[in-house]
Amino acid sequence: MKFQMKRLLSQILIFFSANLGAFGLKTGFCYPFFYCHSCPASTSACPLKAIENSVYNVKDNGIAWKLLFYPILILGFFGTLTGRAICGWACPIGLLQRGTGRIARKLKKYPVIQKLGQHKIEPSLRYIKYFVFIIFVIITSALIGFIFTDICPIGFLTGTIPTLILYPGKFVPNPFFWVALVIFILFLVLIFTVERGWCRYFCPIGAFLAPFNKISILNISVDTEKCIHCNACSEECPMGIDVPNMRRDPECILCGKCINVCPKSCITFERK
Amino acid sequence: MKKMIVIQISALLLISGGVGGMLLFTDVYEEVQSNIVLILCLSCLKLEVSTIKEFTFETANNEPHPDFVLDNLTDGPVFLHYSEKACPGCDIMYPIIKQFFNVEFEKNEMFYEMVNYENSNVSYIYTNIDYSSEEMRDSLLIYDKDHVHGLPMFSVVTLGYDRGIVRPHYASVYGTLGFDNDKERITLLTELMQESIDMYNQNWEGYNPNQ
Repeated sequence: MKFQMKRLLSQILIFFSANLGAFGLKTGFCYPFFYCHSCPASTSACPLKAIENSVYNVKDNGIAWKLLFYPILILGFFGTLTGRAICGWACPIGLLQRGTGRIARKLKKYPVIQKLGQHKIEPSLRYIKYFVFIIFVIITSALIGFIFTDICPIGFLTGTIPTLILYPGKFVPNPFFWVALVIFILFLVLIFTVERGWCRYFCPIGAFLAPFNKISILNISVDTEKCIHCNACSEECPMGIDVPNMRRDPECILCGKCINVCPKSCITFERK
Repeated sequence: MKKMIVIQISALLLISGGVGGMLLFTDVYEEVQSNIVLILCLSCLKLEVSTIKEFTFETANNEPHPDFVLDNLTDGPVFLHYSEKACPGCDIMYPIIKQFFNVEFEKNEMFYEMVNYENSNVSYIYTNIDYSSEEMRDSLLIYDKDHVHGLPMFSVVTLGYDRGIVRPHYASVYGTLGFDNDKERITLLTELMQESIDMYNQNWEGYNPNQ
């Protein structure tokens, strides 16, 4: 079986296992990726919601340390083993973007999109996800309330839409619904125009896992002596990484597309 | 290279030990399961439950009414207020309910008081699912009429006449009651309480808690 087919199979299998709640399996684990537990078929909890709950209204409630460390350790476990491979091999939102990425890749041929993608500000935009994680997931939950939860586009996609379809008339929009709808539309525009746009710029779980790429047991290495700098790997990379010059890049999702296209086979998975 | 391997193995041992320890020696698994996975997060859904103020005899999970409700029903209607610690909707409703029944209690505690509402006795029972007994938590599923599993939830249990016998009759409303202002929320609660008191006054003479 081809390597990318194995990855697709892994993504599909994990998508189904994340939805076994449809058959009554509701566990007390946290997903190590982005998926909303308000999805009627979800099996586990969103790690971000567990973190938000642990620090919610810290002045009155204090910090629920157990609930804070539990998702952090689960994410840390997978992060230490595989870095951001979770994003490339397991995350259902990654699977969605795998589909929309084809369109984004075609759009990349248009000069305007190309120009935007190569703009000098683009690498700085990747820091937004760290800001989202720290400010909108942790600080606002502790001091104001669930801002991220109220507007989360993944919750809208996997929770709100299926719930409205499955239970018509049972629910009505709350005041945040319309803001969340606008953000969800922007999310769709983003993932159809920028390959892995959500993972690159906004995903707070990606932000949490990114530093683990620096120490993860599994990583991607480039043999710079064999490299002929044809740049095929960088063009193929869905995360827009300069692959020949990367060394344990925090953005790498270990999808292995660069390995597939390298004519000199100088890019490999490394286990150390 | 050796330094990296030491870092990796140390991190992995520390983290897996931490996760394993938490699963073995704490109740975090049950806490996540019962308070996050099984409770519908209305905030995550960006939705409110469509409020239907309708009384029914059948419990949501076909379980019998709990004893603490049946016992209190001999004195008057029972108002059940379900809440949890990390819940914006609960925080909105908490001061409204306190004002409505003129009661004073801490949000993160269980609370019971026989209140005088419009010259009638009403048993007010507050259940924060993070700090309550199993019996109280289970009663949430008994009165979750619309199978929402969402919080906050408010149930009024009164007495109704059903095919020759007087039985507990209840209604449940959810979230911030479908309104964005306190005035309308209080109006709905007033109507609900008035209706339950009227029903109680009509039927209490025929009520036998052991029936």
